[in-house]
Amino acid sequence: MRRTSALLLMSCLGIAPLSAHHSFAVHFVPDERITIEGVVTEFRFRNPHGLIFLNVGDPDGAEQPWRVETNSPNILRRRGWAADSIKPGDHVTIEGYPARDSARLMRVYRLQFEDGREMIGQRPSVPQDED
Amino acid sequence: MISVCTRWYIVVLLLFPVAGFAQRDLSGFWTVKLEREPSGRALIDELPSDVLLIEDTGGGELASGEYGGLRLTERARLEIENYDYGAELRREKACDAPSVVFYMQAPFPMEVYAGRDLIVLKMEYFDMHRVIFLDGRDHPPADAPHSKSGHSVGYWDGNTLVVDTTHIAPGTFMNNGFEHSDAIHMVERFRLSEDGSTLWLTQVYEDASTFAGLAGRYMAWTRVPGEYIYPYDCDPSYGE
Repeated sequence: MRRTSALLLMSCLGIAPLSAHHSFAVHFVPDERITIEGVVTEFRFRNPHGLIFLNVGDPDGAEQPWRVETNSPNILRRRGWAADSIKPGDHVTIEGYPARDSARLMRVYRLQFEDGREMIGQRPSVPQDED
Repeated sequence: MISVCTRWYIVVLLLFPVAGFAQRDLSGFWTVKLEREPSGRALIDELPSDVLLIEDTGGGELASGEYGGLRLTERARLEIENYDYGAELRREKACDAPSVVFYMQAPFPMEVYAGRDLIVLKMEYFDMHRVIFLDGRDHPPADAPHSKSGHSVGYWDGNTLVVDTTHIAPGTFMNNGFEHSDAIHMVERFRLSEDGSTLWLTQVYEDASTFAGLAGRYMAWTRVPGEYIYPYDCDPSYGE
């Protein structure tokens, strides 16, 4: 039996893309992470992916609209996320994987509220209990 | 006159009539078990030597442009060249469910309802369902309708459930720009661990119009009592 080395490759990169309805690797850069900070305008908790809309201030003081895709809400529910976990007006810092097309779009790894609470989306490693 | 030994033998049979069945009872809620090293190595080792094992299951995914060593046909290569990844995010494709070839390995749990003549797999991913007939029936004629879950017939080979599936409608093969054909043939082997806590599966695919030879996948699940799957309720407008 011949074997491919995808898991080894991902292990080297330290990532665990959770394939859902579309390819993660095609749309996002799995071995890069960026951080943005802004105010939430909308949160959609629907399959196949959730979406967080927020306004992020740029260095010139202007606000830029960003979209942050999440894993499937079904996966996130088991990590404590809910449809009302994130509300318009929440000030959040989000670390995640940038979109390949350089649009203002990313996939969430983790999200932190002003009070320090943190929620985990797509982890960058492969623990045994990862879903 | 029944001897003491024979009486004890009968008592044991009456007390443990389903000892064999216990190792065959796949019922329950199963969540994907991601493993650095496969706990179901024995099942993998039973795969035919010429099966190319694709390691993109559960939490895995091959990188863009990687096909795990598959020798793709010209048809599949042309499909990849013309594939529109942007469409995956649009309404017309966002809720396009994969076939059983791909949805079994997705990182979502399933519920299994197992009877003597029938097993039903209720998948969380895209709310898909599978029916596996164990009553000895054959597949329908080749021109019968094809579906994303196909037509599955199975039988028990000792403690291994062997399932043969045909009539599978085309769907993504590895989330990487090409689909398998409607002629794909899949043979699966399900086996429980001795304590019943882990379910292993190997799949072997043959689809000459998409790739040469045989390809396969391995996956594992952990039984979690008292849990249920969530509805998926895919929303095609999620990204608009």
